[in-house]
Amino acid sequence: MSQTAIDIGAIERELRQMWQEQAIHPNAGGQAVIRALTLNLIARAPDDAWAEQILSVAPGLTAQHPNRTVIVIDRPGTTVEVQAQVQALCTLTNAGRTQVCGEQITISARGTPAGQLAGLVLPLLVPDLPVVLWAPGPQPFAQPLVQRLYRLCDRVIVDSTTFTEPLTELAELATFEQKAKGAPAVSDLGWTRLTPWRELVAQFFDSRTFLPHLHRIDEIVIEYAAGTVVNPVAALLFVGWLASCLKWAPLEEAVGVEGETIRLYLRRPAVGVGPAAIRLVSVEIRPSLSPARAGLASVVLRAIDNQRAEFVVAQTDDAGHARTRATVADTPPIERMVKVDPVTLTDLLSSELRLLSRDRTFAAALNLAGSLARRLTSYHNDPL
Amino acid sequence: MTMAFLDNPLRTGLRMGRTPEPCTMVIFGASGDLTRRKLVPALYNLARERRLPAGFSVVGFARRDWTDESFRELLCEAINTNSRSGPVDPELWASFAQGIYYHWGNFDDADAYRRLVERLAAIDRERGTGGNRVFYLATPPEAYPTIIAQLGTHGLARSSGWTRIIIEKPFGHDLTSAQALNAEVLSVFNEDQVYRIDHYLGKETVQNILIFRFANAIFEPIWHRSHIDHVQITVAETIGVEDRGGYYDTSGALRDMIQNHLMQLLCLVAMEPPSVYDADAVRDEKVKVLRAIRPIALHDTVRGQYGPGSANGRPVRGYREEKGVSPTSQTETYVALKLFIDNWRWAGVPFYLRSGKRLPRRVSEIAIQFKAAPTMIFADTPLNDLEPNVLAMKIQPDEGISLKFSSKVPGQPQIRPVTMDFRYGASFGVTSPEAYERLLLDCMLGDGTLFTRRDEVEASWTLLTPILRAWAEGPPLPFPNYEAGSWGPVEADEFIARDGRSWRRL
Repeated sequence: MSQTAIDIGAIERELRQMWQEQAIHPNAGGQAVIRALTLNLIARAPDDAWAEQILSVAPGLTAQHPNRTVIVIDRPGTTVEVQAQVQALCTLTNAGRTQVCGEQITISARGTPAGQLAGLVLPLLVPDLPVVLWAPGPQPFAQPLVQRLYRLCDRVIVDSTTFTEPLTELAELATFEQKAKGAPAVSDLGWTRLTPWRELVAQFFDSRTFLPHLHRIDEIVIEYAAGTVVNPVAALLFVGWLASCLKWAPLEEAVGVEGETIRLYLRRPAVGVGPAAIRLVSVEIRPSLSPARAGLASVVLRAIDNQRAEFVVAQTDDAGHARTRATVADTPPIERMVKVDPVTLTDLLSSELRLLSRDRTFAAALNLAGSLARRLTSYHNDPL
Repeated sequence: MTMAFLDNPLRTGLRMGRTPEPCTMVIFGASGDLTRRKLVPALYNLARERRLPAGFSVVGFARRDWTDESFRELLCEAINTNSRSGPVDPELWASFAQGIYYHWGNFDDADAYRRLVERLAAIDRERGTGGNRVFYLATPPEAYPTIIAQLGTHGLARSSGWTRIIIEKPFGHDLTSAQALNAEVLSVFNEDQVYRIDHYLGKETVQNILIFRFANAIFEPIWHRSHIDHVQITVAETIGVEDRGGYYDTSGALRDMIQNHLMQLLCLVAMEPPSVYDADAVRDEKVKVLRAIRPIALHDTVRGQYGPGSANGRPVRGYREEKGVSPTSQTETYVALKLFIDNWRWAGVPFYLRSGKRLPRRVSEIAIQFKAAPTMIFADTPLNDLEPNVLAMKIQPDEGISLKFSSKVPGQPQIRPVTMDFRYGASFGVTSPEAYERLLLDCMLGDGTLFTRRDEVEASWTLLTPILRAWAEGPPLPFPNYEAGSWGPVEADEFIARDGRSWRRL
């Protein structure tokens, strides 16, 4: 039944009643139930497909971060329509063990003004707990509801893999992060997906014998799985991360695009030559010819000057593994297989919810990737 | 500490777990139970979680006539049976197993060590391990001095990278032998190369004791003699001596459990806040606790030995009927004792420790019992109906923390105790790593915080050796004095009842 307004009091009464019933009539297994809330999660679904995804993720999230989730299905429309539904979300446990439950409120709306939606969401937040806004889909910061809510949130989570105009949106995301200066903290699930890649690349240089080569990298080649949209954001973030950690600066105007291959250059301090000397690092980013899983397909770091060294992390054909290889000069290569389990949306969100403060490493990487993206978009519009 | 990480500029920031530099772990006693059940599954799980660097290698050193291949097969089976992550991932294992080698030799055979030197150098070249080594002594303690001396003789205590040695318990069987062992180890290695392992410290819940105490501000002000009535530390096991009867009969509960595990728990509960969280600051505070403990009076100890009874509903034999145990054995399988820490925080607060085998439940717990409300203002309720507040830290199973307080029964003028529970399993939906995983990784990272330092071991033995001596010199006790499957001897209940207190029902 369609309606144009919701009674907040009714939602609260329904929540109270739900917990009282749990206390009087324990569920079929005779298990006790604990209500546990560690945060408020507002999830904005831009359409029904996203609503379905969010609904499927929420139960898994309860196990690690019991929360009150307010799902807002914010569909466009000409007629105003809004309704709400309340339910408890419980983790499955062995019989006899206490069950932990969070709460889920779904607000299903069509054509509802953002002001009205925000007015519904705000009183439903549990006081004194962090508020996280998850806004998947393209153009998150252009959405009126997000614009109204983000200031009240501790963290805003977007997903750059769902961008439809990746370079423009990456630049916007970087601008937003800079402007927000940590309040709210910004997260990108596209960055979260890079964690194992960063880990594996960083691990090469925990070895004292390999560490010197990190400071003399000359070439980087990154391949990513090409999806329906050509989305090099993950690769740019990865370059942004390396560059910000290693103090490399983008070289003005030195970008080029051939087909779908991106070429850019960064300046790095030259090693052992004198304090002001610099060298160029060339970066090539291209869609993978043999598309495996989504995300990055391979990362190659090469030092060519003087002593050759090459460090490679690559996805294998099967899901769940990556191969790493380090080759320095004439010594035999050190190879190994590592487990990289495919991550679910629940894992990614969970890992973001674990962070309380601004992720400075991400902020620095995003800042650099944003400036690269800006150069690339202006190149597209006005090639040299 | 771990300078290499500070040097790697990619290691800044959040999320990424630390990984050590590539290294080789040499396990002495590689054909033994510990290697198969704990060490190799722990190393494999670390590799599975990408916590080990490429090039990480294992050399198993033992007397049996095995080959690299047969050793790898055996370990693969061991992981399939014992790993918390289930059977091996074939591709991952194939890659991990390339770095596993078997080294045949007797522990006293100089030639075996000469070959070991060559082999380690070859691994350094082929796998980029840069001379970094961990020697793990997983042998019976009798072999420790021989191995340590041989390592010294063959120059294996130093290398172009770092070298560390992990020593399993027992660290001696009394003060004199512990001092002698320490002297032998330290004649070859420096103290900062030595990692004495007590797997209890690797348990997440044990580490959480410090987080709970020092990352929360509300508990520390009441963590004090003016608010705490007494503390109980219990480590109860349901198992008997299994196939360790021969060893256990020369050891007993005081040596096997109290000297290490319970003393560690005691230190963590009672220590002052360290100025920083690093290996020496933490261990300095722990040593201060041990040194402040008043010599334990003989009449403040109770010994027990289990007789026939039941475990998990099945009849089991008594201790003296176990394999390898003397039929007239005077070895204790249960100890309860009371001690006092004579410092400003704890003066006058009794700490009751108990540990035993063949008790009804496997449970490890620290319970802080607070003082009762000083007066009762609720006329309908007599004061003795009120239970004191208890803060219980459960180490295993059902890891968590619970606080008991009084609450009004709705609609009735009655007061009942209720508990506020925090459970690891419920709040963090991730499985905790095994203690050995954490400890092996810490050692490779050069972090000794969770390992026992020389002075800790000796301080603990200083306290307990007089009791062992007095027991040995005293008249034999009428053992067995508790039934397998009961909560220990009646004397233990009487002992605590004399102080007007009782053991917690667990």
